[in-house]
Amino acid sequence: MDVALSRGGAWVLKAFFVLVVVFLYAPIVILVIFSFNNSNVPAFPLSGFTLHWYHEFLVNSDLRSALKTSAIIAAVSSAAAVLLGILAAIALVRHRFPGKGPVSALLLSPLVIPYVVFGLALLLLFHTIGLQRSIFTVMIGHIVITLPYTILVMMPRLQQMDVTLEEAAYDLGASRLRTFRSITLPLLLPAVVSAYLIAFTTSFDEYAVASFVVGTTVTFPIYLYSAVRFPTNLPQVIAVAVVVISISLLVVVGAEVGRRLAERRLG
Amino acid sequence: MATEVRAEEPAAQARRRRRRPDLTAPSLLGLPLAWLAVFFVVPIAIVAAYSFNAFSLYPGSHPLTLQAWHDFLHSGVYLRLFWKSVKMSLIVSTIVVALAYPIAYYLALSGTKRKYVLLLLLIAPFLTSYLLRVLAWKVILGDNGVLNSFFFWTGLRSPDHPFSQLLYSRFAVVLVLAYIWLPFVALPIFVSLESLDRRLLEAASDLGASRLQSFRRITLPLSLPGIFAAFLFVFIPTLGEFVTPSLVGGASGYMYGNQIVDLFQTGFPDWETGSVLAIFLLGVVTLLTLVFSRFLQPKQVAAG
Repeated sequence: MDVALSRGGAWVLKAFFVLVVVFLYAPIVILVIFSFNNSNVPAFPLSGFTLHWYHEFLVNSDLRSALKTSAIIAAVSSAAAVLLGILAAIALVRHRFPGKGPVSALLLSPLVIPYVVFGLALLLLFHTIGLQRSIFTVMIGHIVITLPYTILVMMPRLQQMDVTLEEAAYDLGASRLRTFRSITLPLLLPAVVSAYLIAFTTSFDEYAVASFVVGTTVTFPIYLYSAVRFPTNLPQVIAVAVVVISISLLVVVGAEVGRRLAERRLG
Repeated sequence: MATEVRAEEPAAQARRRRRRPDLTAPSLLGLPLAWLAVFFVVPIAIVAAYSFNAFSLYPGSHPLTLQAWHDFLHSGVYLRLFWKSVKMSLIVSTIVVALAYPIAYYLALSGTKRKYVLLLLLIAPFLTSYLLRVLAWKVILGDNGVLNSFFFWTGLRSPDHPFSQLLYSRFAVVLVLAYIWLPFVALPIFVSLESLDRRLLEAASDLGASRLQSFRRITLPLSLPGIFAAFLFVFIPTLGEFVTPSLVGGASGYMYGNQIVDLFQTGFPDWETGSVLAIFLLGVVTLLTLVFSRFLQPKQVAAG
Protein backbone atom coordinates (compact mmCIF):
# COMPACT_ATOMS: atom_id res chain seq x y z
CA MET A 1 0.00 0.00 0.00
CA ASP A 2 1.25 3.45 -0.82
CA VAL A 3 1.30 5.82 2.12
CA ALA A 4 0.89 9.07 0.13
CA LEU A 5 -1.82 8.15 -2.36
CA SER A 6 -4.55 5.56 -2.74
CA ARG A 7 -4.89 4.00 -6.17
CA GLY A 8 -8.08 6.01 -6.80
CA GLY A 9 -6.41 9.18 -5.54
CA ALA A 10 -3.47 8.68 -7.87
CA TRP A 11 -5.88 8.20 -10.76
CA VAL A 12 -7.77 11.42 -9.94
CA LEU A 13 -4.53 13.40 -9.65
CA LYS A 14 -3.25 11.97 -12.92
CA ALA A 15 -6.46 13.01 -14.68
CA PHE A 16 -6.13 16.47 -13.12
CA PHE A 17 -2.53 16.71 -14.29
CA VAL A 18 -3.57 15.83 -17.84
CA LEU A 19 -6.34 18.46 -17.71
CA VAL A 20 -3.90 21.16 -16.58
CA VAL A 21 -1.42 20.25 -19.31
CA VAL A 22 -4.26 20.47 -21.84
CA PHE A 23 -5.19 23.89 -20.42
CA LEU A 24 -1.55 25.02 -20.73
CA TYR A 25 -1.02 23.80 -24.28
CA ALA A 26 -4.49 24.38 -25.79
CA PRO A 27 -3.94 28.10 -26.49
CA ILE A 28 -0.61 27.26 -28.16
CA VAL A 29 -2.24 24.53 -30.26
CA ILE A 30 -4.99 26.95 -31.25
CA LEU A 31 -2.35 29.43 -32.42
CA VAL A 32 -0.71 26.70 -34.51
CA ILE A 33 -4.04 25.75 -36.11
CA PHE A 34 -4.98 29.32 -36.99
CA SER A 35 -1.51 30.13 -38.31
CA PHE A 36 -2.35 27.75 -41.23
CA ASN A 37 -5.93 28.97 -41.60
CA ASN A 38 -6.79 30.69 -44.85
CA SER A 39 -8.74 33.63 -43.41
CA ASN A 40 -8.06 37.19 -42.28
CA VAL A 41 -9.72 36.66 -38.92
CA PRO A 42 -8.89 33.83 -36.56
CA ALA A 43 -12.38 32.38 -36.07
CA PHE A 44 -14.31 29.19 -36.69
CA PRO A 45 -15.17 27.61 -39.05
CA LEU A 46 -11.73 26.89 -40.47
CA SER A 47 -11.52 27.89 -44.11
CA GLY A 48 -8.67 25.96 -45.65
CA PHE A 49 -4.92 25.44 -45.36
CA THR A 50 -2.39 28.12 -46.33
CA LEU A 51 1.26 29.02 -45.82
CA HIS A 52 0.47 32.59 -46.82
CA TRP A 53 0.91 34.06 -43.32
CA TYR A 54 4.35 32.51 -42.90
CA HIS A 55 5.36 33.91 -46.26
CA GLU A 56 3.96 37.33 -45.30
CA PHE A 57 6.03 37.57 -42.16
CA LEU A 58 9.18 36.35 -43.87
CA VAL A 59 8.98 39.31 -46.22
CA ASN A 60 7.91 41.78 -43.47
CA SER A 61 11.03 43.91 -43.05
CA ASP A 62 9.79 45.78 -39.93
CA LEU A 63 9.33 42.51 -38.17
CA ARG A 64 12.67 41.12 -39.27
CA SER A 65 14.50 44.23 -38.13
CA ALA A 66 12.69 44.05 -34.76
CA LEU A 67 13.78 40.43 -34.38
CA LYS A 68 17.33 41.38 -35.27
CA THR A 69 17.37 44.28 -32.78
CA SER A 70 16.15 42.02 -30.00
CA ALA A 71 18.67 39.33 -30.88
CA ILE A 72 21.52 41.87 -30.69
CA ILE A 73 20.28 43.25 -27.37
CA ALA A 74 19.84 39.76 -25.94
CA ALA A 75 23.22 38.49 -27.18
CA VAL A 76 25.17 41.43 -25.74
CA SER A 77 23.28 41.86 -22.48
CA SER A 78 23.29 38.17 -21.59
CA ALA A 79 27.03 37.90 -22.31
CA ALA A 80 27.61 40.80 -19.92
CA ALA A 81 25.21 39.38 -17.35
CA VAL A 82 26.90 35.97 -17.46
CA LEU A 83 30.31 37.62 -17.03
CA LEU A 84 29.18 39.62 -14.01
CA GLY A 85 27.31 36.54 -12.76
CA ILE A 86 30.44 34.35 -12.85
CA LEU A 87 32.35 36.92 -10.78
CA ALA A 88 29.53 37.29 -8.25
CA ALA A 89 28.81 33.55 -8.01
CA ILE A 90 32.48 32.70 -7.37
CA ALA A 91 32.68 35.38 -4.69
CA LEU A 92 29.50 34.12 -3.01
CA VAL A 93 30.37 30.43 -3.14
CA ARG A 94 34.15 30.38 -2.69
CA HIS A 95 34.76 33.28 -0.35
CA ARG A 96 33.72 34.31 3.11
CA PHE A 97 33.56 38.03 3.75
CA PRO A 98 31.80 40.44 6.09
CA GLY A 99 28.40 41.64 4.89
CA LYS A 100 27.81 38.58 2.70
CA GLY A 101 24.11 38.48 3.60
CA PRO A 102 23.29 42.03 2.47
CA VAL A 103 25.54 41.71 -0.60
CA SER A 104 23.80 38.57 -1.85
CA ALA A 105 20.44 40.17 -1.07
CA LEU A 106 21.39 43.17 -3.23
CA LEU A 107 22.64 40.94 -6.05
CA LEU A 108 19.35 39.01 -6.10
CA SER A 109 17.02 41.95 -5.46
CA PRO A 110 16.31 42.66 -9.17
CA LEU A 111 14.29 39.42 -9.00
CA VAL A 112 11.59 40.98 -6.87
CA ILE A 113 11.50 44.61 -7.98
CA PRO A 114 8.32 45.37 -9.95
CA TYR A 115 9.51 45.90 -13.53
CA VAL A 116 7.30 48.96 -13.89
CA VAL A 117 9.22 50.60 -11.03
CA PHE A 118 12.63 49.57 -12.37
CA GLY A 119 11.73 50.69 -15.89
CA LEU A 120 10.68 54.15 -14.85
CA ALA A 121 13.63 54.43 -12.44
CA LEU A 122 16.01 53.84 -15.36
CA LEU A 123 14.03 56.31 -17.45
CA LEU A 124 14.48 58.97 -14.75
CA LEU A 125 18.19 58.14 -14.47
CA PHE A 126 18.78 58.53 -18.20
CA HIS A 127 16.66 61.69 -18.20
CA THR A 128 18.66 63.12 -15.29
CA ILE A 129 22.10 62.42 -16.75
CA GLY A 130 20.92 63.31 -20.26
CA LEU A 131 21.64 59.96 -21.89
CA GLN A 132 19.79 59.41 -25.16
CA ARG A 133 17.56 56.32 -25.10
CA SER A 134 18.67 53.56 -27.51
CA ILE A 135 19.36 49.86 -27.69
CA PHE A 136 22.25 50.49 -25.28
CA THR A 137 19.92 51.74 -22.56
CA VAL A 138 17.81 48.61 -23.03
CA MET A 139 20.95 46.46 -22.69
CA ILE A 140 21.83 48.26 -19.44
CA GLY A 141 18.41 47.43 -18.02
CA HIS A 142 18.46 43.82 -19.21
CA ILE A 143 21.87 43.18 -17.67
CA VAL A 144 20.45 44.26 -14.31
CA ILE A 145 17.36 42.04 -14.47
CA THR A 146 19.10 38.94 -15.86
CA LEU A 147 22.12 39.11 -13.52
CA PRO A 148 20.36 37.36 -10.58
CA TYR A 149 19.24 34.50 -12.84
CA THR A 150 22.79 33.87 -14.00
CA ILE A 151 24.03 33.89 -10.39
CA LEU A 152 21.30 31.46 -9.29
CA VAL A 153 22.12 29.06 -12.13
CA MET A 154 25.88 29.06 -11.50
CA MET A 155 25.95 28.92 -7.69
CA PRO A 156 24.74 25.30 -7.30
CA ARG A 157 27.22 24.11 -9.95
CA LEU A 158 30.10 25.86 -8.15
CA GLN A 159 29.00 24.31 -4.87
CA GLN A 160 29.08 20.83 -6.43
CA MET A 161 32.50 21.29 -7.98
CA ASP A 162 35.47 19.76 -6.22
CA VAL A 163 37.66 22.56 -4.81
CA THR A 164 40.62 20.22 -4.53
CA LEU A 165 41.00 20.24 -8.35
CA GLU A 166 41.57 23.99 -8.27
CA GLU A 167 43.89 23.65 -5.29
CA ALA A 168 45.87 20.95 -7.07
CA ALA A 169 46.35 23.32 -10.01
CA TYR A 170 47.74 26.06 -7.71
CA ASP A 171 50.00 23.59 -6.01
CA LEU A 172 51.35 22.55 -9.40
CA GLY A 173 52.17 26.18 -10.05
CA ALA A 174 49.29 27.40 -12.21
CA SER A 175 48.38 31.06 -11.87
CA ARG A 176 44.90 32.17 -10.78
CA LEU A 177 43.90 32.98 -14.34
CA ARG A 178 45.39 29.77 -15.73
CA THR A 179 43.54 27.73 -13.09
CA PHE A 180 40.31 29.51 -13.85
CA ARG A 181 40.77 28.92 -17.59
CA SER A 182 41.80 25.28 -17.48
CA ILE A 183 39.91 23.98 -14.42
CA THR A 184 37.08 26.20 -13.18
CA LEU A 185 35.66 27.38 -16.48
CA PRO A 186 35.48 23.98 -18.23
CA LEU A 187 33.78 22.47 -15.17
CA LEU A 188 31.43 25.43 -14.90
CA LEU A 189 30.66 25.45 -18.62
CA PRO A 190 27.30 23.61 -18.55
CA ALA A 191 26.02 26.15 -16.02
CA VAL A 192 27.48 29.03 -18.06
CA VAL A 193 25.60 27.80 -21.12
CA SER A 194 22.28 27.44 -19.29
CA ALA A 195 22.78 30.83 -17.63
CA TYR A 196 23.40 32.40 -21.03
CA LEU A 197 20.32 30.76 -22.53
CA ILE A 198 18.10 31.80 -19.64
CA ALA A 199 19.42 35.37 -19.78
CA PHE A 200 19.05 35.43 -23.57
CA THR A 201 15.45 34.25 -23.61
CA THR A 202 14.55 36.59 -20.73
CA SER A 203 16.02 39.59 -22.52
CA PHE A 204 14.62 38.59 -25.91
CA ASP A 205 11.10 38.50 -24.45
CA GLU A 206 11.36 41.48 -22.09
CA TYR A 207 8.79 44.19 -22.67
CA ALA A 208 8.10 46.03 -19.39
CA VAL A 209 11.51 47.58 -18.74
CA ALA A 210 12.30 48.02 -22.44
CA SER A 211 9.07 49.97 -22.98
CA PHE A 212 10.43 52.72 -20.73
CA VAL A 213 13.99 52.96 -21.98
CA VAL A 214 13.88 51.93 -25.64
CA GLY A 215 13.15 55.33 -27.16
CA THR A 216 12.17 55.04 -30.82
CA THR A 217 13.88 51.72 -31.56
CA VAL A 218 11.52 48.78 -32.06
CA THR A 219 12.44 45.56 -30.31
CA PHE A 220 10.56 42.33 -30.97
CA PRO A 221 8.42 42.55 -27.79
CA ILE A 222 7.66 46.20 -28.54
CA TYR A 223 6.57 45.19 -32.05
CA LEU A 224 4.47 42.34 -30.66
CA TYR A 225 2.86 44.54 -28.03
CA SER A 226 1.57 47.01 -30.58
CA ALA A 227 0.55 44.14 -32.88
CA VAL A 228 -1.42 42.53 -30.05
CA ARG A 229 -2.90 45.81 -28.90
CA PHE A 230 -4.03 46.98 -32.34
CA PRO A 231 -4.41 43.75 -34.28
CA THR A 232 -4.59 44.80 -37.92
CA ASN A 233 -2.68 41.84 -39.26
CA LEU A 234 -3.46 39.16 -36.74
CA PRO A 235 -2.83 35.96 -38.75
CA GLN A 236 0.68 37.10 -39.60
CA VAL A 237 1.44 37.81 -35.94
CA ILE A 238 0.04 34.38 -35.10
CA ALA A 239 2.44 32.80 -37.58
CA VAL A 240 5.33 34.64 -35.94
CA ALA A 241 4.07 33.47 -32.56
CA VAL A 242 4.12 29.85 -33.68
CA VAL A 243 7.67 30.13 -35.01
CA VAL A 244 8.98 31.85 -31.87
CA ILE A 245 7.21 29.48 -29.49
CA SER A 246 8.49 26.43 -31.40
CA ILE A 247 12.05 27.71 -31.37
CA SER A 248 11.99 28.59 -27.69
CA LEU A 249 10.48 25.22 -26.76
CA LEU A 250 13.21 23.50 -28.77
CA VAL A 251 15.95 25.59 -27.13
CA VAL A 252 14.55 24.98 -23.66
CA VAL A 253 14.13 21.25 -24.06
CA GLY A 254 17.49 20.99 -25.83
CA ALA A 255 19.26 22.98 -23.11
CA GLU A 256 17.71 20.85 -20.37
CA VAL A 257 18.61 17.58 -22.10
CA GLY A 258 22.13 18.89 -22.79
CA ARG A 259 22.58 20.00 -19.20
CA ARG A 260 21.53 16.62 -17.82
CA LEU A 261 23.81 14.80 -20.25
CA ALA A 262 26.74 17.07 -19.40
CA GLU A 263 26.16 16.68 -15.67
CA ARG A 264 26.03 12.93 -15.98
CA ARG A 265 29.33 12.99 -17.89
CA LEU A 266 31.16 15.49 -15.69
CA GLY A 267 29.65 14.19 -12.47
CA MET B 1 40.19 35.99 4.36
CA ALA B 2 38.71 33.39 2.17
CA THR B 3 41.25 30.63 2.44
CA GLU B 4 40.05 27.92 4.73
CA VAL B 5 41.90 27.29 7.94
CA ARG B 6 43.01 23.70 8.11
CA ALA B 7 45.28 21.61 10.20
CA GLU B 8 48.38 22.16 8.11
CA GLU B 9 51.96 22.90 8.85
CA PRO B 10 52.47 26.66 9.25
CA ALA B 11 55.03 26.62 6.42
CA ALA B 12 52.57 25.01 4.00
CA GLN B 13 49.92 27.53 5.02
CA ALA B 14 52.26 30.41 4.43
CA ARG B 15 53.19 29.04 1.02
CA ARG B 16 49.55 28.68 0.11
CA ARG B 17 48.76 32.18 1.26
CA ARG B 18 51.63 33.59 -0.76
CA ARG B 19 50.46 31.84 -3.85
CA ARG B 20 46.79 32.80 -3.83
CA PRO B 21 46.29 36.31 -2.54
CA ASP B 22 45.36 37.98 -5.83
CA LEU B 23 41.63 37.43 -6.47
CA THR B 24 39.70 38.18 -3.31
CA ALA B 25 36.00 38.73 -2.75
CA PRO B 26 36.14 42.53 -3.12
CA SER B 27 37.88 42.34 -6.49
CA LEU B 28 35.40 39.74 -7.75
CA LEU B 29 32.40 41.67 -6.48
CA GLY B 30 33.59 45.08 -7.61
CA LEU B 31 32.10 45.00 -11.10
CA PRO B 32 28.71 43.38 -10.33
CA LEU B 33 28.14 45.62 -7.32
CA ALA B 34 29.22 48.75 -9.17
CA TRP B 35 26.85 47.90 -12.02
CA LEU B 36 23.94 47.45 -9.62
CA ALA B 37 24.84 50.58 -7.68
CA VAL B 38 24.83 52.79 -10.78
CA PHE B 39 21.95 51.21 -12.70
CA PHE B 40 19.76 49.87 -9.93
CA VAL B 41 20.24 51.66 -6.60
CA VAL B 42 20.86 55.17 -7.92
CA PRO B 43 17.83 55.10 -10.28
CA ILE B 44 15.56 54.13 -7.38
CA ALA B 45 17.04 56.94 -5.30
CA ILE B 46 16.23 59.32 -8.17
CA VAL B 47 12.60 58.13 -8.16
CA ALA B 48 12.47 58.82 -4.43
CA ALA B 49 13.94 62.28 -5.07
CA TYR B 50 11.22 62.99 -7.65
CA SER B 51 8.53 61.93 -5.18
CA PHE B 52 9.69 64.66 -2.79
CA ASN B 53 10.04 67.14 -5.64
CA ALA B 54 13.82 67.31 -5.10
CA PHE B 55 14.03 66.63 -8.86
CA SER B 56 11.33 67.71 -11.24
CA LEU B 57 10.29 67.41 -14.86
CA TYR B 58 9.91 71.19 -14.99
CA PRO B 59 12.87 73.54 -14.86
CA GLY B 60 13.37 76.07 -12.09
CA SER B 61 13.97 75.77 -8.40
CA HIS B 62 11.91 73.41 -6.32
CA PRO B 63 11.45 73.32 -2.60
CA LEU B 64 11.42 69.86 -1.06
CA THR B 65 7.81 69.00 -0.42
CA LEU B 66 5.65 66.19 0.90
CA GLN B 67 2.70 67.50 -1.12
CA ALA B 68 2.52 64.53 -3.54
CA TRP B 69 2.71 62.04 -0.67
CA HIS B 70 0.04 63.96 1.22
CA ASP B 71 -2.27 63.98 -1.81
CA PHE B 72 -1.62 60.30 -2.45
CA LEU B 73 -2.53 59.29 1.09
CA HIS B 74 -5.58 61.55 1.38
CA SER B 75 -7.26 61.51 -2.02
CA GLY B 76 -8.08 57.81 -1.80
CA VAL B 77 -8.21 57.32 -5.59
CA TYR B 78 -4.79 55.72 -5.84
CA LEU B 79 -5.09 53.77 -2.61
CA ARG B 80 -8.44 52.33 -3.75
CA LEU B 81 -6.81 51.28 -7.02
CA PHE B 82 -3.93 49.75 -5.06
CA TRP B 83 -6.41 47.82 -2.92
CA LYS B 84 -8.15 46.56 -6.06
CA SER B 85 -4.79 45.32 -7.37
CA VAL B 86 -4.09 43.65 -4.02
CA LYS B 87 -7.42 41.82 -4.24
CA MET B 88 -6.81 40.75 -7.85
CA SER B 89 -3.32 39.53 -6.96
CA LEU B 90 -4.71 37.58 -4.00
CA ILE B 91 -7.29 35.93 -6.27
CA VAL B 92 -4.70 35.05 -8.92
CA SER B 93 -2.21 33.69 -6.36
CA THR B 94 -4.87 31.61 -4.59
CA ILE B 95 -6.16 30.08 -7.84
CA VAL B 96 -2.68 29.32 -9.08
CA VAL B 97 -1.49 27.73 -5.83
CA ALA B 98 -4.71 25.70 -5.53
CA LEU B 99 -4.20 24.34 -9.07
CA ALA B 100 -0.46 23.81 -8.72
CA TYR B 101 -0.55 21.96 -5.40
CA PRO B 102 -2.26 18.77 -6.59
CA ILE B 103 -0.01 18.70 -9.64
CA ALA B 104 3.15 19.04 -7.57
CA TYR B 105 1.78 16.42 -5.16
CA TYR B 106 1.17 14.02 -8.02
CA LEU B 107 4.65 14.52 -9.48
CA ALA B 108 6.49 14.34 -6.16
CA LEU B 109 4.61 11.60 -4.32
CA SER B 110 2.83 9.31 -6.77
CA GLY B 111 6.06 7.47 -7.51
CA THR B 112 5.85 8.10 -11.25
CA LYS B 113 9.17 7.29 -12.90
CA ARG B 114 9.09 10.10 -15.40
CA LYS B 115 8.54 12.92 -12.93
CA TYR B 116 11.31 15.14 -14.30
CA VAL B 117 10.09 14.73 -17.86
CA LEU B 118 6.56 15.59 -16.73
CA LEU B 119 7.88 18.57 -14.78
CA LEU B 120 9.67 19.85 -17.88
CA LEU B 121 6.45 19.39 -19.86
CA LEU B 122 4.71 21.53 -17.28
CA ILE B 123 7.36 24.26 -17.10
CA ALA B 124 8.17 24.54 -20.81
CA PRO B 125 5.22 26.89 -21.59
CA PHE B 126 6.49 29.26 -18.91
CA LEU B 127 9.69 29.67 -20.87
CA THR B 128 8.04 30.70 -24.13
CA SER B 129 7.16 34.28 -24.90
CA TYR B 130 4.97 36.00 -22.33
CA LEU B 131 3.41 38.38 -24.85
CA LEU B 132 2.60 35.57 -27.25
CA ARG B 133 0.72 33.67 -24.57
CA VAL B 134 -1.30 36.81 -23.87
CA LEU B 135 -1.88 37.09 -27.64
CA ALA B 136 -3.23 33.52 -27.68
CA TRP B 137 -5.86 34.38 -25.09
CA LYS B 138 -6.78 37.56 -26.89
CA VAL B 139 -7.40 35.54 -30.05
CA ILE B 140 -9.45 33.03 -28.06
CA LEU B 141 -11.54 35.34 -25.89
CA GLY B 142 -12.55 38.14 -28.28
CA ASP B 143 -16.20 38.84 -29.16
CA ASN B 144 -15.54 37.32 -32.57
CA GLY B 145 -12.70 35.19 -31.31
CA VAL B 146 -12.08 31.48 -31.40
CA LEU B 147 -14.33 30.59 -28.47
CA ASN B 148 -17.33 32.69 -29.49
CA SER B 149 -17.05 31.77 -33.16
CA PHE B 150 -16.91 28.13 -32.13
CA PHE B 151 -20.19 28.53 -30.27
CA PHE B 152 -21.78 30.38 -33.23
CA TRP B 153 -20.54 27.73 -35.65
CA THR B 154 -21.85 24.83 -33.63
CA GLY B 155 -25.14 26.67 -33.01
CA LEU B 156 -24.75 26.62 -29.23
CA ARG B 157 -24.95 30.40 -29.14
CA SER B 158 -26.51 32.96 -31.48
CA PRO B 159 -24.06 35.43 -33.12
CA ASP B 160 -26.28 38.25 -31.81
CA HIS B 161 -25.46 37.30 -28.24
CA PRO B 162 -21.77 36.52 -27.91
CA PHE B 163 -20.19 35.97 -24.49
CA SER B 164 -19.05 39.56 -24.35
CA GLN B 165 -17.47 39.81 -20.92
CA LEU B 166 -14.71 37.36 -21.84
CA LEU B 167 -12.18 39.88 -23.10
CA TYR B 168 -11.42 43.33 -21.63
CA SER B 169 -12.52 42.46 -18.13
CA ARG B 170 -11.16 41.70 -14.70
CA PHE B 171 -11.98 38.05 -15.46
CA ALA B 172 -9.69 38.09 -18.50
CA VAL B 173 -6.81 39.57 -16.48
CA VAL B 174 -7.16 36.97 -13.73
CA LEU B 175 -7.46 34.11 -16.23
CA VAL B 176 -4.45 35.15 -18.31
CA LEU B 177 -2.24 35.85 -15.30
CA ALA B 178 -3.18 32.51 -13.74
CA TYR B 179 -2.38 30.83 -17.07
CA ILE B 180 0.99 32.56 -17.24
CA TRP B 181 2.06 31.78 -13.66
CA LEU B 182 0.76 28.23 -13.26
CA PRO B 183 3.74 26.30 -14.72
CA PHE B 184 6.25 28.34 -12.73
CA VAL B 185 4.49 27.94 -9.41
CA ALA B 186 4.37 24.15 -9.34
CA LEU B 187 8.16 24.21 -8.92
CA PRO B 188 8.62 25.50 -5.33
CA ILE B 189 5.75 23.29 -4.11
CA PHE B 190 7.27 20.31 -5.92
CA VAL B 191 10.63 20.99 -4.24
CA SER B 192 9.11 21.09 -0.74
CA LEU B 193 7.11 17.89 -1.33
CA GLU B 194 10.04 16.14 -2.97
CA SER B 195 12.21 16.66 0.11
CA LEU B 196 9.52 15.22 2.37
CA ASP B 197 10.75 12.15 4.26
CA ARG B 198 8.42 9.32 3.28
CA ARG B 199 9.29 7.43 6.45
CA LEU B 200 7.20 9.97 8.36
CA LEU B 201 4.17 8.94 6.33
CA GLU B 202 4.98 5.26 6.81
CA ALA B 203 5.29 5.77 10.55
CA ALA B 204 1.95 7.57 10.65
CA SER B 205 0.36 4.78 8.66
CA ASP B 206 1.84 2.13 10.99
CA LEU B 207 0.43 4.01 13.94
CA GLY B 208 -3.02 3.81 12.39
CA ALA B 209 -3.41 7.22 10.75
CA SER B 210 -5.55 7.40 7.62
CA ARG B 211 -4.10 9.01 4.48
CA LEU B 212 -6.20 12.10 5.07
CA GLN B 213 -4.92 12.38 8.64
CA SER B 214 -1.29 12.03 7.63
CA PHE B 215 -1.82 14.57 4.86
CA ARG B 216 -3.31 17.06 7.32
CA ARG B 217 -0.84 16.46 10.12
CA ILE B 218 2.38 15.78 8.17
CA THR B 219 2.43 16.52 4.44
CA LEU B 220 0.53 19.81 4.46
CA PRO B 221 2.45 21.40 7.38
CA LEU B 222 5.79 20.32 5.91
CA SER B 223 4.94 21.71 2.48
CA LEU B 224 3.76 25.07 3.86
CA PRO B 225 7.10 26.82 3.09
CA GLY B 226 6.72 25.78 -0.56
CA ILE B 227 3.13 27.01 -0.60
CA PHE B 228 4.14 30.37 0.88
CA ALA B 229 7.00 30.70 -1.60
CA ALA B 230 4.71 29.86 -4.53
CA PHE B 231 2.10 32.32 -3.30
CA LEU B 232 4.64 35.14 -3.02
CA PHE B 233 6.26 34.35 -6.37
CA VAL B 234 2.89 35.09 -7.94
CA PHE B 235 1.60 37.78 -5.60
CA ILE B 236 4.63 40.09 -5.75
CA PRO B 237 4.95 40.46 -9.54
CA THR B 238 1.18 40.52 -10.05
CA LEU B 239 0.86 43.48 -7.70
CA GLY B 240 2.83 45.69 -10.09
CA GLU B 241 1.58 44.05 -13.29
CA PHE B 242 0.68 46.37 -16.16
CA VAL B 243 1.27 44.53 -19.44
CA THR B 244 -1.49 41.92 -19.21
CA PRO B 245 -4.15 44.35 -17.90
CA SER B 246 -3.33 46.82 -20.65
CA LEU B 247 -3.77 44.11 -23.30
CA VAL B 248 -6.81 42.19 -22.03
CA GLY B 249 -8.12 44.20 -19.06
CA GLY B 250 -10.05 47.07 -20.61
CA ALA B 251 -11.35 49.64 -18.09
CA SER B 252 -12.48 47.17 -15.44
CA GLY B 253 -9.17 45.31 -15.44
CA TYR B 254 -7.11 48.52 -15.01
CA MET B 255 -4.52 47.98 -12.27
CA TYR B 256 -2.20 50.07 -10.11
CA GLY B 257 0.73 49.37 -12.46
CA ASN B 258 -1.24 50.84 -15.39
CA GLN B 259 -1.78 54.00 -13.37
CA ILE B 260 1.97 54.34 -12.83
CA VAL B 261 2.67 53.90 -16.55
CA ASP B 262 -0.02 56.44 -17.46
CA LEU B 263 1.45 59.02 -15.09
CA PHE B 264 4.76 58.73 -16.95
CA GLN B 265 3.86 58.02 -20.53
CA THR B 266 0.71 59.94 -21.41
CA GLY B 267 0.52 63.44 -22.86
CA PHE B 268 0.10 64.94 -19.38
CA PRO B 269 2.90 63.40 -17.37
CA ASP B 270 2.95 63.83 -13.62
CA TRP B 271 6.30 62.40 -12.61
CA GLU B 272 6.00 63.56 -9.02
CA THR B 273 2.78 61.63 -8.37
CA GLY B 274 3.99 58.71 -10.47
CA SER B 275 7.15 58.51 -8.37
CA VAL B 276 5.09 58.48 -5.18
CA LEU B 277 3.04 55.58 -6.54
CA ALA B 278 6.18 53.72 -7.60
CA ILE B 279 7.98 54.19 -4.26
CA PHE B 280 4.84 53.13 -2.38
CA LEU B 281 4.61 49.92 -4.45
CA LEU B 282 8.32 49.27 -3.99
CA GLY B 283 7.96 49.80 -0.24
CA VAL B 284 5.13 47.27 0.00
CA VAL B 285 7.02 44.71 -2.10
CA THR B 286 10.22 45.20 -0.08
CA LEU B 287 8.30 44.80 3.17
CA LEU B 288 6.67 41.59 1.93
CA THR B 289 10.04 40.25 0.79
CA LEU B 290 11.71 41.03 4.12
CA VAL B 291 8.88 39.63 6.23
CA PHE B 292 8.66 36.44 4.23
CA SER B 293 12.34 36.22 3.26
CA ARG B 294 12.78 32.83 4.90
CA PHE B 295 10.31 31.40 2.37
CA LEU B 296 12.01 33.13 -0.57
CA GLN B 297 15.30 31.29 -0.44
CA PRO B 298 17.12 31.04 -3.77
CA LYS B 299 17.07 27.25 -3.54
CA GLN B 300 13.30 27.38 -4.03
CA VAL B 301 13.82 28.92 -7.47
CA ALA B 302 17.02 27.28 -8.55
CA ALA B 303 15.79 23.73 -8.17
CA GLY B 304 15.71 21.48 -11.17
